[in-house]
Parts: sequence; C-alpha cells; structure tokens
Amino acid sequence: MNENNKSASEKTEKKKSLFNRILEYASTKKSLYTQSIFFAVLGVICSMLPYFFIARIVDKLLAGETMFSAYYFDFVMLAVFWTLRIVFHSMSTARSHVATFAVLGNIRKAICAKLLRVPLGDVKNIPSGTLKNTIVERVDSMETTLAHVVPEFTANIAAPILIFIFLLTINWKMAFASLITFPIGMVCMMGMMKDQETQWANCVEKTKILNDTAVEYINGIEVIKAFGKADSSYERFQVAAREGADCYIDWMRNNTFYFTAAMAITPATMLSVLPIGGIMYLHGTIDISAFVMVIILASGLIAPFITLISYNDDITKAHTIFDEVGALMDMKEMTRPDKTSKEPKDYSIELSDVHFGYGKDKEILHGVSLFMKEGTVNALVGPSGSGKSTVARLVASLWDVDSGSVKVGGVDIRDIALDDYNDRIAYVSQDNYLFNRSVRENIRMGKKGATDDEVVEAAKKCGCHDFIMSLENGYDTVVGDAGGHLSGGERQRISIARAVLKDAPIVILDEATAYTDPENEALIQRSLAKMVQGKTLIVIAHRLSTIMDADKIFVIRNGVVDSEGTHEELLAMDGLYKNMWEAHIVARDNAAIENATMKGGEVYA
Amino acid sequence: MLKILQKFFEFSGKENKKKFIASIILGIVKALFQAVRLPAIYVVVKGMVDGDFTKETIWTAFGIVVGGIIVQILVTSKSSMLQTEAGYTACADKRMEIASHLRYLPMGYFNNNSLGYITSVTTNTMESLADVATRVVMMTLQGLLEAALINIFLYVFDVRIGLIATAGIVIFFLVNRIVQKRSNAMAPKKTEADTALVEQVLEFVQGISEAKNYNMTVESNEKLDTSIDDASKICTDMELAFVPLLGIQTWLMKMTGVFMCMMSVKLYFDGNMDLATCIVMLIASFMVFAALESAGSYSSLLRIVDISVDKANEILSVPEMNIEGDNVSPATRNIAMENVDFAYDKRKVVDNVSLSIPEKSSAAFVGPSGGGKTTLCHLIARFWDVESGEVKLDGRNVKEYSMDSLMENFSFVFQNVYLFHDTIANNIRFGNPSASMEQVMEAAKKACCDEFIKALPDGYDTVIGEGGASLSGGEKQRISIARAIMKDSPIIVLDEATANVDPENEKDLMEAIDALTKEKTVLMIAHRLKTVRNADCIYVVEKGHIVQQGTHEELIKQEGIYKNFVSERKQAVSWRIGSFG
Repeated sequence: MNENNKSASEKTEKKKSLFNRILEYASTKKSLYTQSIFFAVLGVICSMLPYFFIARIVDKLLAGETMFSAYYFDFVMLAVFWTLRIVFHSMSTARSHVATFAVLGNIRKAICAKLLRVPLGDVKNIPSGTLKNTIVERVDSMETTLAHVVPEFTANIAAPILIFIFLLTINWKMAFASLITFPIGMVCMMGMMKDQETQWANCVEKTKILNDTAVEYINGIEVIKAFGKADSSYERFQVAAREGADCYIDWMRNNTFYFTAAMAITPATMLSVLPIGGIMYLHGTIDISAFVMVIILASGLIAPFITLISYNDDITKAHTIFDEVGALMDMKEMTRPDKTSKEPKDYSIELSDVHFGYGKDKEILHGVSLFMKEGTVNALVGPSGSGKSTVARLVASLWDVDSGSVKVGGVDIRDIALDDYNDRIAYVSQDNYLFNRSVRENIRMGKKGATDDEVVEAAKKCGCHDFIMSLENGYDTVVGDAGGHLSGGERQRISIARAVLKDAPIVILDEATAYTDPENEALIQRSLAKMVQGKTLIVIAHRLSTIMDADKIFVIRNGVVDSEGTHEELLAMDGLYKNMWEAHIVARDNAAIENATMKGGEVYA
Repeated sequence: MLKILQKFFEFSGKENKKKFIASIILGIVKALFQAVRLPAIYVVVKGMVDGDFTKETIWTAFGIVVGGIIVQILVTSKSSMLQTEAGYTACADKRMEIASHLRYLPMGYFNNNSLGYITSVTTNTMESLADVATRVVMMTLQGLLEAALINIFLYVFDVRIGLIATAGIVIFFLVNRIVQKRSNAMAPKKTEADTALVEQVLEFVQGISEAKNYNMTVESNEKLDTSIDDASKICTDMELAFVPLLGIQTWLMKMTGVFMCMMSVKLYFDGNMDLATCIVMLIASFMVFAALESAGSYSSLLRIVDISVDKANEILSVPEMNIEGDNVSPATRNIAMENVDFAYDKRKVVDNVSLSIPEKSSAAFVGPSGGGKTTLCHLIARFWDVESGEVKLDGRNVKEYSMDSLMENFSFVFQNVYLFHDTIANNIRFGNPSASMEQVMEAAKKACCDEFIKALPDGYDTVIGEGGASLSGGEKQRISIARAIMKDSPIIVLDEATANVDPENEKDLMEAIDALTKEKTVLMIAHRLKTVRNADCIYVVEKGHIVQQGTHEELIKQEGIYKNFVSERKQAVSWRIGSFG
C-alpha cells in the first residue's frame, strides 16, 4: 500500500520535469532550436501581413478605386509575404528536424553508455525486448514532440496573440467581441473534464486487463493448445478485447457532445463578430473597411488554439515516452571512480561483512566474510537460494554491496575504475553471448588489438581451432549468419576462447548454467580447464564431485558462510556439506560406475 | 494518401467500413455547415455595400451562423461517434482475428521471437492504431472534404473563381503524389537503417555482459555507433528532402489564393461580379486551403497507420494448419513414422525417417545438437506437418485427428515452462478445471511440489506472478509436471535438458518425471546416461537420419556415435576441477 503511494508520488514528480527533460535533451543542439523558433516567429509575422494587404485592397475597393494597376503593389506584397512565410516556416522545420534527429542519436548513445555504468543485474532485469523498444521505437516517437511541438507550439501561440494585438489597434471593442466564443467553448470543455479522471482510469484498467490477457494468451498458446483449451481461452481473450474497445467507445459516447460543441463553437468567431459588428455599424461606431478587416482577422484567431489542443494528446503521450526514457537515464549507477586510485597488490579476494539484497525488499546476504588466496581454486556451494551465486556476482562487480566491502588485493573494488576492474575478471556462464560478426572478431574482443596469431592460439587452446577451420569461411565465418550453423556448444567454446585470450587473473565460473549443450559438455570442460590454470578461480558448483579437489570450499547457507575447508575437512565436520554430498551421490548420474561391471563396456573413470 | 486510407478501410472489415463511410458522409454535411460562415459574411458585406444594412441583416447572419453551429454539433457528434466505434472495434476485431489465427498455426511456429512479436503487435501496435486511426481518418478526410466543399461554394458564387480553386486542389494532389513517391523511393533505405539499428541495439543489450566484461564502450562498438548515426542521418535526409516539397505544395496553394484575389478584383472591375461577392472572395482566399494544409500535415500519422496495418497483416498471412479432423480416441498409442521428410526454410532437418514406437515403451533420442532429434519428437505431436511421408498414431495419420483430440494424447515437458497468472491450484488443474483440491494436491505430491507450495504464504492459492516469475526454474518445472500428471495423457514428450535448469533440485525433478512417465509411452530427447540406458529403444539421430537404433547393450557394442556419446557423458559427469590434463 505504502509502496503504491510512493511510486504514485514519484510519478507526479517525474511528470513535472517533462519540460526540463525536453530542455535537457534539446540543450545539446540549443542554437539550432533557437534558430528554429526564431524562424517560426518570423514566419508567423509574415503570415499576418497578408491580412493587412487584403484589408488595404478591400479599403480601396470600397473607396471606389477602379484602376487595376493601383492594386498591383498589394497583390505583389501578398505573394511576397506568403512566400516569405513559407520560406521561414520551412527553414524553421528543417532546423528543428536536423537538431532533433541529432538529439535522438545522442539520446540513444547516452542510454547505451548509461547501461554500461549501472549494475549489470539491473539491466538484466529488464527484458532485452523492452530495452530495444525504448532505445529504438520510444526514442523515435520523441521526434514529434521535439521537432514539431517546439517550433509549432511557438508559432501557434504567437499567431493568435499577434492577431489579437492587430485587432486591438483596429477596434478594441471588436477585439474583445471576437473572443466571446472562447469562454463558451471552455465551459463545454469543462463539461467534458467532469469525470475524465474516472473514465480515464477505467480505460487504463481495461487496457491493462486486455494487455495482460493478450500476453498470457499468446505466450501461453503452446500450453493452451496442448491442453485443448484454445477455444475457452480464446473466448476469454475476446471478452477482454471487446471490453478494451468498449471502454473507449463509452467514454467517447459520454463526451462526444461536449467535445464537438467545444470544437464547433470555439472557432466560430463569426457568432459574435457579425452581430456585434453589425450593431456597431448601425450605430456608426465602426466603418465598413474596419469591419471587413475584423472579419478577416477574427476568422484566423482561434484556429491555432484548436491546433494546440490537438497537441495536448501528443504531450500526454510525450510524458509517458519521456518518463520511460528518463527512467533508464535515471537508473542508479555503480559508484566507481574514473581513475583507479590504488592498485591492488595481488589477486586475492576478500569479503568483509557483506550485506546485500536485490532491490530494497529482501536481504539475501547477511554478513558474508571470506578470503580467497591468489591463484587458488575456490568453490561456493550451498542449497539453491542460499546466496552463493550472489557472492560471485558481487565479486564480478555486477552489483554493489549494500554494506561491508569486497576487496581485491587489499583494495576496495569501489575504488577501482570499472574498466580496470573488468580487465581483471573473466565471468563465464551460459549467458556468454556472441556478436553477429566473424568468429575472429568475436574472439578478438577478449583483448583489444590482439593479432590473428593470438586469436588462433586461444582457439587452439580451447580445442575450437579444428571446428572453426571446418566452417565455410574459417575464422571469417560470421556467427549467426546462415553459413555458420554453430551449435550451442560451439558458440560456448568460442566464448571461452575469448575469455582465454583475455587472460584475466580472476576467473568466475558459474557451473550451473555453464552447459547449454549437454552433448558437448566434456569438450567445454576441457576448454575451461585450459583457461583456469594459475588463476584465482571461483566456481559456483552444483555437481559437488566437480570441486572435490578445490583448495577451499565455502558452504553458503541462508546468506552467510556456514563452513569452509577442503572436501575432506568438510566431510569430517558432519554438517550441511556432508548431507549435500550424500544427496549428490544418490542423484548423480552414476552410470559410469555401474557400467564398469557390464560386458562390452569400457571404463572411463 | 488516399491509398493508405483505402488500405485501412479494407483492413477494418465490412461492418466498420460501413460506419466509416457513414461518418464520412456526415463529415461532408458537417463541412457544408461549417462553411456557412461564408454566406453569413456575404449577407453582412452585401448589406453594407448595398447600403440596405438593417437589424434584419444582423439577425439573418446570426441565424445562419447559429443554425450552422447547431447542425455541426449534432452531425459531428454522430460522425465522431461512428468513427470511434469503427476505429476501436476494427482494432478489437483484428486482435481477435490474430488470436483466433494463433489457434490454427502449427505449434512449431511458436518460439520466443515470434511470440514476442505477436504480443507487441496485438498490444502496442493495435493500441496506437486504434488511437491514431480514429484521429487521422477524421483529420485527413475532413480536411479534404472541407476543401472540396468550400470549392463547391465558390462555384455557386462564381464559376471562374471556382475553377481556379479546383486547379489549386488538383496541383495539391499532384505535389502530394510526388511527395509520396519520393517517400516510397526512400523507404527501403530507411527500413534498412532501421533494421540495422534494431539489430545492433538488440545485440548490444543482449551482449551487455560481454560489453561490460570486455570494456566495449559505445564508441568502440563501431557497428552500434554507425547504426545510430545512420538512422539519424537517413531521417534527416528524408526530412530535408520533404521540407522543400511540402513548402512548394503550400506555396502553390497560397499563390492560387493570391490569383483568386486578383481574378475577383478583375472580375469586379469588368462588371462580372458585384462588390460584395468580390470582398467575400478575398476573405475566402484565406480559408479555402487551410483545410487542405491541415490534411497534408497529417500524412506522417498516416504512415503509422500504414505500417501498423502491414504488421498485423503479416501475422495473419502465416499459413494456417488444417486442424479440423475427427474427434477420435485411439484404441492403442502405437506411434509410427513412415518415410518422413521435413525441412525448415528449405533446410532439410529430417530426411526419410521411419520408425515405430509401441505403446507404453520408452524411446530415447540421442545425437549431436542440431541433428534433428527435437524436430522428430515435434513431428510426432504434429507441431509441424511433414513434407512427405506419414506420421501415424494407432495406425491413423495424425492429420486425420482434430487437433484437440490429438493433443489429448500428449503431454510435454520442455525447458521453457509457461505458468498462468493464476493460483497454483488453478495452474495445476488447467487441463481439468473440475478437479477437486484433493486431486490437485495428489498430483502436486507426485510431482514433488507439495512441500514447497505449502511453504508459500497462501499455499495452493498463491497467485503466480507473470510468467511464474516468483518461483525458481525448478519449482516452475515441477508445477508444470504436476499439471501434466493431472492431464494424465498416455504419451509423454520430454526434453531432458530440463534437468539442467536447477541442479539443486535435480533429485526432486527426477522423481517428478518418474511419476509422470510411469506406465506411459515416453519419447525423450535424452542426455543422461541412466535414462538412456533404461530406454526400450534408443534412436541415434544425426543430420536428419536415424543412424543407429537399438538397446543400450546392442549399441554399445557398435563403433559409432553412441559409443562416443557414452564415453563423453561419462567424462563429463566425472569431471573435477584440478584433475584435468
């Protein structure tokens, strides 16, 4: 409950800053935007002047001027100012667009750069599709606001003001008379606003239900079909889709009268101008040419406001879009200096009294302290949810600790520049990702400027050289390209070759997820073996037999170090480790042992 | 412009198209009455010029304006109502059509990518289409109609002036055609830049761990950097190409207006037009093309309509599978494949495979990844239709079964588990909504989830978060097994990589799987030696062929993939860090 209130108030706070955000993003191209506004205003002024010349023509006509040549100048001026107006308007639009597209590019780069500075876990928590959507589509849709609203808003506000001033100079009474429809229209708008909040909330709610139903139906379609539930689930979807449309239609039905009344009355300035002007004409307080002039000007008075109202929708949407982009830009960054102040003396790892929780709600680690000597093999074991993977992630600097510290070679990792630290750590898990480039480029990513020979050597070490050479274009085969059908295991071995080339002194190995491809598990293990020699190694172990020979095993339970020692020491303690070991032996795929007794089978222990 | 509108009407369906047309007709009426301000002005000006201006004149003008507004309000209310109804209903219909279409797509078509895309089209794209379409259709069509109407009025006042205005409108459309053509010519370049951008951004986001790990900044990631710049550049280029064209378009309008003024004055001098009409023409010259201009400025929104319609049509064009058939309950569950061929996108994945799996036996498919073993299992359950050959259940081609009655026979345990945003109990009884709580708990016990479910705050009534987010992978997996146990289908298709999800819970998961597969026909994509060895028949699949087939004892004696597989597996499971060489 409290949480909800808080997020709601945070939201309103964010909404207020929409204008600031626009400024913030636009400021990099400030001069172009300023020029754009300048030309927009010039354009508006030029669009006013034709009114003046039309009025002059009318004047002359009424005065009985019958020489066609007497009008030449006015016609030329009409043409000139219309032309100038269009030229200025085009210049304004061109400038605002050039600026906007540059700004959009900058925003995209800024978001990408930002993502590198926030805790990796926070980035990973957002589905990649959502991030892509924000960086590509959402940023794209900022174009309307930035490129159009800025100059056109200016123009549409400036135009009526100028017209009104113009009207005042002709006849101040008529000037005010032409504004009469405005309050009437506003009253109608108010009728519309009456229960807007509830209607809007209803639509938001129905839309959410629709979206949730759609997400469930589509993503669960395999289950739905397999269980023969396609018809009943489809019916549920139908209901949601209908309600999702009906709520808007109902809303429209309730409002349509007020809305159309407002839209019809507000711009109908003739409603007041014609009778009031007529009465004044009868009383002789306005002459015919002034009256005609007022008619011309007044007819263009309110229309720009209507245009502004139609931007209202866009601005509402801009809120959502800017908020979404803003939410990424406001993500908390990790506290890391730009330059490393103190170099670690070696590659030992020390955690002291580390407390940590993902988000604010639940603490996972409650004071973990441990020490790993340089160049040793260290294993983290424990039941699932115990926090062992979290410990490894903190060492990998994917998150920052809430309290306590992680030190490498005696230096708090928060005092080491992120770049420097990343250079020293290799984190191997299932997630290792290959970019859609050549195999060579992918491996070379491990070490900037590595020679081709170094790349090949790393590949050889991991036993991928042979299969790479067998690919259509060898090392130049583009991964993911139709030509290079790489299996999961092959991709993984390439990513390990990349880590080998990196040759980082600290290696973290998440065994649980390390094998995407059970068929190639043994090959992958062999590659891993090459890369961990002589390093400070942290293994998150799930198959206990893997880490029997580790220099030190840390048993993590409920967010604290339960016990530590070698395999034999821990077994002797008769605690959690021993229980786990026994369970492991039972569950283990012990075919190898059984098989040894079978005829025809060879023993590969 | 008109083409896109037409495409959208086609897309909306008959019923909605009718509503749109009705609303357009009303729109014409509305425009007609909006334009009455011109006659009103005419009345006033004429009165003044002719010198017979009285209170009557004022009342007449006022009456015309008020009458016009009242009719406008009534007509517009109806017309915008129709538009809203048609627009939102059209999108709701499309959503349902897509959802319905999914029922007829082959199961194999669904993967994370396709589902993500369909979701985004069904939710976001349709939402913005409903919103934009109603607005755009109103704005563009109204603009066009208004211009046409004012033009007709002008004919009434004076035919010659009317002709000039018509010429202006024709020029507007000609220039608009050029703009569209230019835009179409640049579209492929834009699409290319957009695709590259999406690709690079996705890659960056998905590979963010690597980008961090290997210190790849945005600048040093040249491809990303370039793709962002390119996307900006192409947009700028397009805009800069359009700005002068649109400028010329407006300019031509304005010049037509100036020409109208000149002609009016000239006609007045020549005695072909009275003074009042002439003055009204001068005033009208400001109004005629304002409506057209505003219609033109919505063309960018029309593009959104165009793209959205294409996206939805793309999904709807995925060929359906004929899932009609007889509702039969087979007497036996003997499975047979006869000379089956199958290809994805022309890449042959299954090549002339024949096999026969007797009821209640277990078949293990092993072999290198990408060899086709998963596809084989999928074909048996008719996730795809075979290209040639036959898949039979109980001697009957699977195509002869209705999809629902075929699915009755199968339960699947795959790696990606989908649980519904509902209580755990309802998730388990998904296949059988009338199941009692006792039955649900019994299934849960068999699947080894009773214990952890009871430990949850609301036990069996705990609502699972979207996609089952609040449970661990292994827990979700076991709930899905409980769901399958509940369904009690005679054939179980199982991907054993499942067991890798959560090694801590391996033992529980194995027990759950044992409970599920007891007394069943089991098809498994197998990885563990133990299960493989116990299978009644092992199929070694490589490059779309079955290369070896038999029991473990038989196969282990042959030189071949199986023997290598066994030794690799043994090495893998006995691997010890530090014990490598």
